[in-house]
Amino acid sequence: MIKFINVSKTYPNGVQALKQVNLEINDGEFVAIIGLSGAGKSTLLRSINRMHKITEGELLVNGVDVSGLTGTKLRLLRRNIGMIFQSFNLVKRMSVYNNVLAGRVAYHPTFPTLLGIFPKEDKLIALEAIDTMGILDKAFTRADQLSGGQQQRVALARALAQKPSVILADEPVASLDPITTVQVMNDFLRINKKFGITVIANMHHVDLALKYASRIIGIKDGNVVYDGPSSGIDDDMLITIYGRALNADEILGEPDEEPGDLNEAV
Amino acid sequence: MKQFSLSNGKVITKPTSKIWLVLSIVSALVLGFILMLTLVSNMIITISFSNLGSLITRMFTYPNPLNPNLSFTVAEKWSRYFSYSKELIGPLFETLSMSLAGTVIGSVLAFPVAIFAAKNVFKTKYIYIPTRFLMNIIRTIPAIVLAIVAVQIFGGGPISGAISGTVAVSIFTFGIMAKMFYEVIETVDMGPFEALESSGASKMVAFKTAILPQVLPLFLSYLIYIFELNVRASTVLGYVGAGGIGTILFASLEEQRYEKIGMALIILFVVILVLQTISNRIRSKLQ
Repeated sequence: MIKFINVSKTYPNGVQALKQVNLEINDGEFVAIIGLSGAGKSTLLRSINRMHKITEGELLVNGVDVSGLTGTKLRLLRRNIGMIFQSFNLVKRMSVYNNVLAGRVAYHPTFPTLLGIFPKEDKLIALEAIDTMGILDKAFTRADQLSGGQQQRVALARALAQKPSVILADEPVASLDPITTVQVMNDFLRINKKFGITVIANMHHVDLALKYASRIIGIKDGNVVYDGPSSGIDDDMLITIYGRALNADEILGEPDEEPGDLNEAV
Repeated sequence: MKQFSLSNGKVITKPTSKIWLVLSIVSALVLGFILMLTLVSNMIITISFSNLGSLITRMFTYPNPLNPNLSFTVAEKWSRYFSYSKELIGPLFETLSMSLAGTVIGSVLAFPVAIFAAKNVFKTKYIYIPTRFLMNIIRTIPAIVLAIVAVQIFGGGPISGAISGTVAVSIFTFGIMAKMFYEVIETVDMGPFEALESSGASKMVAFKTAILPQVLPLFLSYLIYIFELNVRASTVLGYVGAGGIGTILFASLEEQRYEKIGMALIILFVVILVLQTISNRIRSKLQ
């Protein structure tokens, strides 16, 4: 469980990105965070695995306050939280397999990892994660040879190889085309249902967020202005979150493919 | 300033590029420099050209024009001329090993220092600024001065001279490579590094996994290039007693045996040309 208690974050340049945020996210939820660029979505997400350090309040992940963590304890926290990025953040010159295997590094002491030595079970975990994402045939291809959607799947496989209980996704589909977007979002949903991994995603496309997430958190100027089920979002609420009616680019539109049938996906 | 009028009546102004200003300043400077050079060298230019001519004649003919009494057939001339090459092989090998050892030692030492100097890995200026300061100081010292100092410490005999040369080349390489390395590190995509850190990897592991694969090809490419550079640079180190082919070069200069210098130059020319070709081949493969 992730719990924000009066969390604030002020950047050194004086910008207040989060203001007294109180949230409680339960295990296994699929949460989408929506809001304008610069509203504090990214800061909120990145303070969970302490890629950003909060300046006030308490942030508990499974009962541990993350703001005071350093060294090994911080690395153990991060090991338990997978992260997905807009630009995939793969090592392009390395194979898919090596990229996914890199998700295992936090389980081992520094020295063998520096030499690239991993136990056999880790190699199997990596390959199984690649297989889960349906790209096993690409396992030994260089990452930069894959399409955008496939690269994001590799990133998901890397996160899965961490055996995390939470996956944070920072604009995971913002650089993908509409069709690939739906496929990748289906992957997120599948991981969420199959492994019970909590998914917290920053979403740019509102309709996509409403379609996939069971819970929406709306952020405006560092304040949580909406927190509830996706069914509770109407046009008035969107105007509250965005301060205006939606732009065309904040709606994905209707790609041909529907969100995957859950029974089939699981 | 250039204005564009669109068909719908809108007008947009393109700001003047500053490139022409920069270009004209640079060309004015170059022109001024050439002019100055011409004025200064005006008096001596005729003399030095005639000297250069005779030097080249002496370097590439045999026998030595200083001893015109000696006469040989053409075949004898060439065989004697090339017999010097035997004397040169040992020192040449010494130069090559000095350069190779120096390149490897200097680069290996430069690598960890470059990591500390890279702004994107260590974000606090308390780490990268002192590191860069140290590197800058080392880089201000010319290779020949390093060699003079090294010869004072390790001596200038047949073996210790080579050791001195290796030390000089190592420090010289260290200065250049540390700078080149950290500049390469700063151009990498930091995304994978961030991803690794977010998965719980330590900075060192994240560097090895996410940054090293990106920079290694360029590092190797620079390593080969600097070796090529060092072979050329270390030939003159013999002048101060730091071993290698330079020793022969300057001994011959003192004896006024210009034909020996000529032979040394031919050999160096061939060796460096071969090295350059190999280096270009490997480096193009690495990209």
